Amino acid sequence: MNKDRKKGLKGRIRFDGGKSLPVTSWFPKVFHEIFFMEREARVILCVVLFFLSLFILTLGEGSFRRTRNNLTVGVFSGSYWDVQNGNTYKIVDDAIKAYEKKYPNIKVTYESGVIKSDYTEWLNERIMSGSMPDVVFILGQDFSSLAEMGALKNLNGLVNKDRSFDKDAYFSTAWKAGEYEGKQYALPYECAPQLMFVNKTILDKEGIRMPEAGWNWSDFYRICRNVTTTGESADEKQYGVTGYDWNCAFNANGVDFFEHGNEYVDFSVPGVTESLELIEKLNELNHGYKVSEADFSEGNVVFQPMPFSQYRAYKSQELHIKKYSGFEWDCLTMPAGPNGDNVSELDTLCIGMSAGTNMQAEAWSFMKLISSDPDIQKEILEYSDGLSVVRDVTLSDEASHMIVGSSKGTFNMMMLEKATDNSVVAPRFRGCSEVKEQVDLAVRSILEGEANIETEQIIWNREINNYLQTLN
Amino acid sequence: MWIAGSDGRLPDNQILVRMPEFFMRILLMLNFLIIITMSAFMVRSLLGTVHSGEAAAFLEAAGHVPIEAGKIPVMVVILYSSLVILTTVICNNHWELFAKACGECILVAAISVTLGMGYTGAMFLVIADVIRYKIDWKERALYIVSVSMLYIIMNTEMVWKSLNIIPVDVYWTYYSIDFRGLLTAGFSTLKLINIFVFIFYVVIIALAQMSEADRIYSLNLKLQAANSQLEKYAKESAHNAEIQERNRLAREIHDTIGHSLTGIVTGIEASIMLMDIDAGAAKKQMQAIEEVARAGITDVRQSVRALRPDVLENNKLEDALKKIVNDMRASTGVDIKYENLAHLEGMSEDEEDTVYRIFQESITNSIRHGKATRIECFMRREENYLHITISDNGIGCKDVTQGFGLHHMQERLNLLQGELNYSGENGFVVDVKIPVRWGKEKWND
Repeated sequence: MNKDRKKGLKGRIRFDGGKSLPVTSWFPKVFHEIFFMEREARVILCVVLFFLSLFILTLGEGSFRRTRNNLTVGVFSGSYWDVQNGNTYKIVDDAIKAYEKKYPNIKVTYESGVIKSDYTEWLNERIMSGSMPDVVFILGQDFSSLAEMGALKNLNGLVNKDRSFDKDAYFSTAWKAGEYEGKQYALPYECAPQLMFVNKTILDKEGIRMPEAGWNWSDFYRICRNVTTTGESADEKQYGVTGYDWNCAFNANGVDFFEHGNEYVDFSVPGVTESLELIEKLNELNHGYKVSEADFSEGNVVFQPMPFSQYRAYKSQELHIKKYSGFEWDCLTMPAGPNGDNVSELDTLCIGMSAGTNMQAEAWSFMKLISSDPDIQKEILEYSDGLSVVRDVTLSDEASHMIVGSSKGTFNMMMLEKATDNSVVAPRFRGCSEVKEQVDLAVRSILEGEANIETEQIIWNREINNYLQTLN
Repeated sequence: MWIAGSDGRLPDNQILVRMPEFFMRILLMLNFLIIITMSAFMVRSLLGTVHSGEAAAFLEAAGHVPIEAGKIPVMVVILYSSLVILTTVICNNHWELFAKACGECILVAAISVTLGMGYTGAMFLVIADVIRYKIDWKERALYIVSVSMLYIIMNTEMVWKSLNIIPVDVYWTYYSIDFRGLLTAGFSTLKLINIFVFIFYVVIIALAQMSEADRIYSLNLKLQAANSQLEKYAKESAHNAEIQERNRLAREIHDTIGHSLTGIVTGIEASIMLMDIDAGAAKKQMQAIEEVARAGITDVRQSVRALRPDVLENNKLEDALKKIVNDMRASTGVDIKYENLAHLEGMSEDEEDTVYRIFQESITNSIRHGKATRIECFMRREENYLHITISDNGIGCKDVTQGFGLHHMQERLNLLQGELNYSGENGFVVDVKIPVRWGKEKWND
C-alpha cells in the first residue's frame, strides 16, 4: 500500500502535473499500472484495444480450425420438389467423391438427416452461431433473405476471375435465380419450369384437339368454356382449369409485377387489366364453384399448372399409380397472353458460399463441380425430379430419352426447351409470401367487387403499397 | 479517496476538484454496469434463440447476421476499457482535446453498434470528460452540441437501417412479453439514472467554476479598496513631511542664525559704543562676537545636514559621482571622463556634499556656458589635500566674473578651508584643493 502510494505520487507529478484521476482503492491493481503509464502509451493502448475488438469481430469459425482441409456442405435430405425420392444424398455423395479424387488433401463433409422442412431453421441456427457451412444449398424461398442479411458471399469476383467457368452454359433464367440486386450470390443446381397439365381424357371425350406449344389465352379460354358443364350429378361436373392464378396470368401477359421488389407495386402497368379480366371470365364459367386440386386429381378438370418435377415424378413407373391414374394426362407450355409469350416460372435450387468461409477457393471449385460438371449434372436427371441447369446436359439426346422416354404424348423436348427458355425467376424478396397473400386478397376483391376493375385497382394499389411500407 | 486533512476539514479547492471526479467515477461505473448487463441479456437471447429453434424467425426479423453471441461481451469489455483509459489521458491543447473527443466518440459508437444501438448513453461520458477541462463555456457548448448531434444521429432509426445494425428490440423478442417489459423498464431506469448523474456532474462543475470566479472577483474588489487607501496615505504623509520640514527649518533658523545674529547685533552695538571708550574692551567684545558667529556657522552647518542631496543620502560618494557623470553623459551626450585615484572613505558629510556640489556645478557650467563636448574629471590625493581638476574643451571665458555657482562653490570651500582656482583661457578649468581630515593613516602607509 505504502509502495503504491509512493509510486502514485511520482506518477502524478511526472506525467500530468497531478491532474489525472486520483487513483483510488477500488481500482484493481492492474489499472494502477495503466494509469501510471506514459500518456502516449495509454493512447497507443486505446488504439490497440480498438483494433483488437475489430479483429475479434472478423474472427470466423474457420479462424480457429486446426487444419484447413475440411470443407463443410449444408445439405437437406429428400427431394427439393416435395415428391418422394429414394436417392437422398446420392448426387452430393458422387460430387464429393469426384471432388476428393481431384483434391485428395481436402475432405468434404456434411451433416446428414436435416429434412427439407427443417433446413431453413437449421441453416439459420448455424449462421447465428457462426458455424455456417462453407457451401450451402439454398432453397428458393430463403435465397433473398440469406443474400440480404449478408450470409452469402458475392461470387462476382470469382465468376469473372475463373476463366474455366462459363456462365452462358446455364439456362439464363436458372443463372438469374442466383442473382440479388445485381450481384451473383449463388450458382444454380437444379431447376423445374412450370407447365400446364392437361387431362387428355376429357379433351378426347369432348372431341377437342390437344393445343400446340404456342397456344394462347383465346385457345385456353375457348377450351375451358367448351368443357365446363355444371350438371346436378357428380359425374356431370366438369371444369376448365384450377390453380391458374394472377401470378400465372401476369407472367403470360408480360407483367413484371414485382419489378421493384418490396418497394412498391403498380396495378396500372399495361397487361394487368387483361390478366384480371381473363381470370374473372374463367371464374364466371364455374358459377361460383371453387375448383380445387382434388377435382383435377379426380379427373374432372382439364387444366392445372404444375411444376415439371411433378411430371417427372408421376410419369415414372414407381409413382404412376399413386396419383392421376384414372385418366390420360400430358403437359403443355403455359398459354400466352395478348401482350406476352408462353412464359412460366422457373423454380431453381441454388448453391451458395458462406460469406465468412476461409476456404474460398476450395468452396468455389466444389460449387463449380456440382453446378456445372456434366457428369454430376446428368445425375440430376437420373436421381432427382428436376432438370439440369446446364443447357447441353438437359437438351442432350440421352436426357431426352430419360425425360420423355417412350411416352407417346405431345410433350417433347422442344416444348421443354421453350418453357425453360421463356421462364422467369419467381419473385423473391423479404416478405414475399405475405405480399403475395395481400395481392391474392386484392385480386379476389377486385374480381368480386361491384365497381369496375380499374377503380378497384387504384384502391388496392394504395392498400398494398401501404402494406409494403410497413414491411420496410 | 475523500480523505480529510489533519484538522478534519477539506480545503475549498480540494472539494471543488474532487466532487466532479467523484461523479465522473460513478458515471464510469454505471455505464459499465449497463453495458455489461445489456450484452449479457443479448447473449442469452442469441443462445436461447438458436436453442429453441427460432433462428429463422430471428434472422427474418433482423435482416442481418448478428454478431456471434460469444463475441459481444468480449468486444464490449475491450472497447469500454479502451474508453476508460482514454478518459484518463490529459490533454495539453485544443488539438489534443479534439482528437481525444473524436476517439471517445468512435469508441462509444462502436460499443453502441455492438449493443444493437440499445445503449447510446455512453456519449454522456464523452461530454463529461470534455467539459472538465477549463476551456471557455463557448467552446464547451460547441463540444456539447456536436456530441449531442452525434447522439441524436445514433438514436435515429434511419441510421441503424443504413448501417445494417440489428436493433436491440429484435434481441428482446426472444423473451416473453412480461420479461421483455421488465427488461425494457430496467434499462430505461438505468439510462435515466445515468442522465441524472450526468446532470448532477454538470451542475457541480458549473458551480465549482462559478464559485471560483466569485472568489476572484471579491478578491479583486478588496485589492482595489486597499490600493486607493494606500494612495491616500501616501499623499497625506508627503504633505505631513513637507509641513514637518518647514517647521524644522523655521525652528532651526530661529534657534541658530536668529540666535547668533541677535547676539552678533547686540555685541556689535556694544562694541561701537566701547570703541571710543576702550579699544581693548571693544576688541575683546569683537572676539566674543566672532565666537558667537562661529558657533552660528556650526549650528547652520548642522541644520543644513538634513538638506543633503538625495543621492548622497542613499549612496557612497564614489557611486554618487559616477552616477552624476553617467547621468549627464547620458542626458547630454557630452563625453565625460572620470578618474579617481583617491580613497573617499571616511569623509564627513559636509565634505562629501561639497565634493558632490563641485562636480555637479562644474559639469553643469561646462555644458551650459562653455558648450563643451568633452569634459575630464580627475581626482587624486596630494599629501594632505584632495585635489580635484575638472577641465573642458568649451569656449571658456576671458573675463570670469563669479556667478552664483562659483560663488556658492567658493563659500562651501571656505567653510572647509579649501582652495578654488579657475581659468577660462583654454576651455574652462576648475581646480579645487580640499584639506584632508580623514584617512591620514592610509596615506602614511
